[in-house]
Amino acid sequence: MRRANLVVGGVLIAVIVSMAAVGLFWTPFSPTAISGPRLAPPGWPHVLGTDGQGSDTASRIISGAKLALLVGVMSVSAAALIGVPVGIIAGMSHRWVAAILSRGADILYGFPALLLAILFAAAVGGSTWTAVAAIGIATIPVFVRIARAATMQVMSQTFVEAARLSATPPLQVAWRHVLPNIAPVLGVQVSVSFGLAILAEAGLSYLGLGSGSDVPTWGRMLREAQNELFNAPLVALWPGLAIAMATMGFNLLGDGLRDLLDPKLREIA
Amino acid sequence: MLSTMGEFRPMEARRPRRLVAAWLCLMAAGAVALTACTRPEAPSQGEPVILNIGATGEPVGLDPSTVNGAGTPFVLLYNVYETLVRIDGEGAIRPLLARDYSVSDDNKVYTFNLDGLAKFASNTPVDAEAVVTSFDRILKGDGITDQVTSKMAPVDSVKALDSDTVEVTLKQPSNQWLFDMAGPAGIIYDPAGLDTLDTKPAGSGPFAFAEWETGQFVKLVRNDHYWGTGTRVDEVFFRYYADPNAMNTAMLSGQLDIISNLTVPQALDQFGDPDKYTVIEGTTDGEVVLGFNHDNPQLADLKVRQAINYGIDRQALVDSVWGGKGMLIGSMVAPTDPWFEDLSKTYTFDQEKARALLKEAGFESGLTLRLRVPTLPYAPPAARFIAAQLKEIGVTVQVEELEFARWLSEVYTAGDYDMTIVAHVEPRDIGNFANPDYYWHYDNPAFADLIKKADEGSAQEQVTLMKEAAKMLADDAAADWLFLLPNLVITTKEVSGLEQNATSLSFDLTSVATNR
Repeated sequence: MRRANLVVGGVLIAVIVSMAAVGLFWTPFSPTAISGPRLAPPGWPHVLGTDGQGSDTASRIISGAKLALLVGVMSVSAAALIGVPVGIIAGMSHRWVAAILSRGADILYGFPALLLAILFAAAVGGSTWTAVAAIGIATIPVFVRIARAATMQVMSQTFVEAARLSATPPLQVAWRHVLPNIAPVLGVQVSVSFGLAILAEAGLSYLGLGSGSDVPTWGRMLREAQNELFNAPLVALWPGLAIAMATMGFNLLGDGLRDLLDPKLREIA
Repeated sequence: MLSTMGEFRPMEARRPRRLVAAWLCLMAAGAVALTACTRPEAPSQGEPVILNIGATGEPVGLDPSTVNGAGTPFVLLYNVYETLVRIDGEGAIRPLLARDYSVSDDNKVYTFNLDGLAKFASNTPVDAEAVVTSFDRILKGDGITDQVTSKMAPVDSVKALDSDTVEVTLKQPSNQWLFDMAGPAGIIYDPAGLDTLDTKPAGSGPFAFAEWETGQFVKLVRNDHYWGTGTRVDEVFFRYYADPNAMNTAMLSGQLDIISNLTVPQALDQFGDPDKYTVIEGTTDGEVVLGFNHDNPQLADLKVRQAINYGIDRQALVDSVWGGKGMLIGSMVAPTDPWFEDLSKTYTFDQEKARALLKEAGFESGLTLRLRVPTLPYAPPAARFIAAQLKEIGVTVQVEELEFARWLSEVYTAGDYDMTIVAHVEPRDIGNFANPDYYWHYDNPAFADLIKKADEGSAQEQVTLMKEAAKMLADDAAADWLFLLPNLVITTKEVSGLEQNATSLSFDLTSVATNR
């Protein structure tokens, strides 16, 4: 029963990932072409109907999965690659270095992804890459905090103290002892951040700060559906569902992983 | 307006700054949170008559001569400020403050006779001195926008012949000048209020300015000193919404009496109940132009431009993008202009012909063009539609969306684009095509010559020559005129007296009434 989160999350993500994989090679119709009448209801051949321009909704959802995952992978891995080392350094350093790094992360934390995306869009124009950058940068502080807190816990343990007393270089301590021990915590955070990144990407696309209008993304589909809400409310349902599924999937997976990795909970069971 | 980009009365422009600010005003409105406005209870006897008007383009300032942006004249022109002549609902020039006017035989000297009755809201008379002071201020140009000074450029001198007669001498004849005097450039200001125009508009209209709560509303009150037939409305609130859908909701829930321009035409059916709402559908001066950069050698080729014109089904585009509202025009002329001709059939949708033309032009294997559009309500969806259609004739369109300020600097000012989409909403703006330095870089001396002759010719010559010019543009596929923005105004059943067509930059409330 405790594994329910993990299973449901895993299944949802499997659906999204396979959609994205299929979308790389095949969609029922071209996701950008005008392939049917406008606002056709779900049926055949348009399984989920068509949108306000007559494009096939199912094809656009499938095609959008690809971009959602791409943005998630890019932004979260970038954030982790920067945030985790900084967090570990902060956790292993003397008080003032740690303070500078943590406060730096706190300052960054004050900039929401949306604000960064608007800044980027104003400076270099909105695109998939500015969305990745904005979400990535906004996600860094979370990783810094988590990595630092976890590192400090590990650092107080006897085996690390032993390593340090035997004059093991700090880099080696970080690599050999700290990173493997904080990896589970980070894994949980990656999963949760992934869900948030997909949600953020949808938000940015919705606001027109992400990919161009010829690229089908879930957020943009929602935005386009908004104007038709009165005439064809179903058009907004599908991208909304897709976003909800992806976000929920990654969150459940994160929760499930946490439960699985938490020794205290394991003992109770 | 970043998100749902309300908009909409972008004033398009001969000069960059003009347009910049027009849109900047829209963006400022976009940053604004939606305000909760509650409609006052139905007035019983003696209670003030109040009109709440929903709008999306907030003014950036209050002096139409020193701030750019369509939001300012939208509220103030004809309502608070008056001009010697005005544009009526059919697009014709009519006397306003001037009882009548005469033109010399060489079309260079205009003599305006004032009524002698007109008064500013401060109860001082609108006399010849006020006209001279107002015009001289524009001519001197201190702090005045390029947009306004450029319209006064043909003027050589302005003088008062007596207290009720003004004589304006032009350097060369210009039909456009008189037309422009019906707009923001021709406003007659109260000389006593010149120092405080940016905080307290001082005009002679049926309404007087009362208050501007930034981000929320502009309030006008009835001008009790009005010289003409006064309004029966006591107070008017222009309430600004960042999100047009929120404005629609406010209307549906009874917080508004009027939606000044529906920017989500797809939502029109929400107001379909004729027992509750009146829907006014008319035309505007806003041509939505798919502009070509003629500096691009591919687009300098007439065949490529024609192929693109043939390759886009404009009626289907309007259906998809603008709820099927909006007329097809085929050239840069609004239907309320006397020289309007339906040129929308110049290039009817024909993909075969388009492919053949591309082949003739040497692009049998296809070509790639960048379509860089501003993030305004109509542009990204239109871009998506165009990209899908042109792909079928072998043109790969790379769509790029630019936040408006960035669009202005890169596309409009620097000309870094192949194709772009923007609405040009200024009245009678076909002359932009006669300027090779304008962002389209369209250089056609024969066309420029026609425009110049039309401006200097008699009224009859003007109509003939302008028709010729519009046809020349259409035949030359100088751009692809996608559609004309519709004027979509929603009012409650009780409101009457609004014009059907938006022929000027004003949201004209001079004859509005409500029997609530």
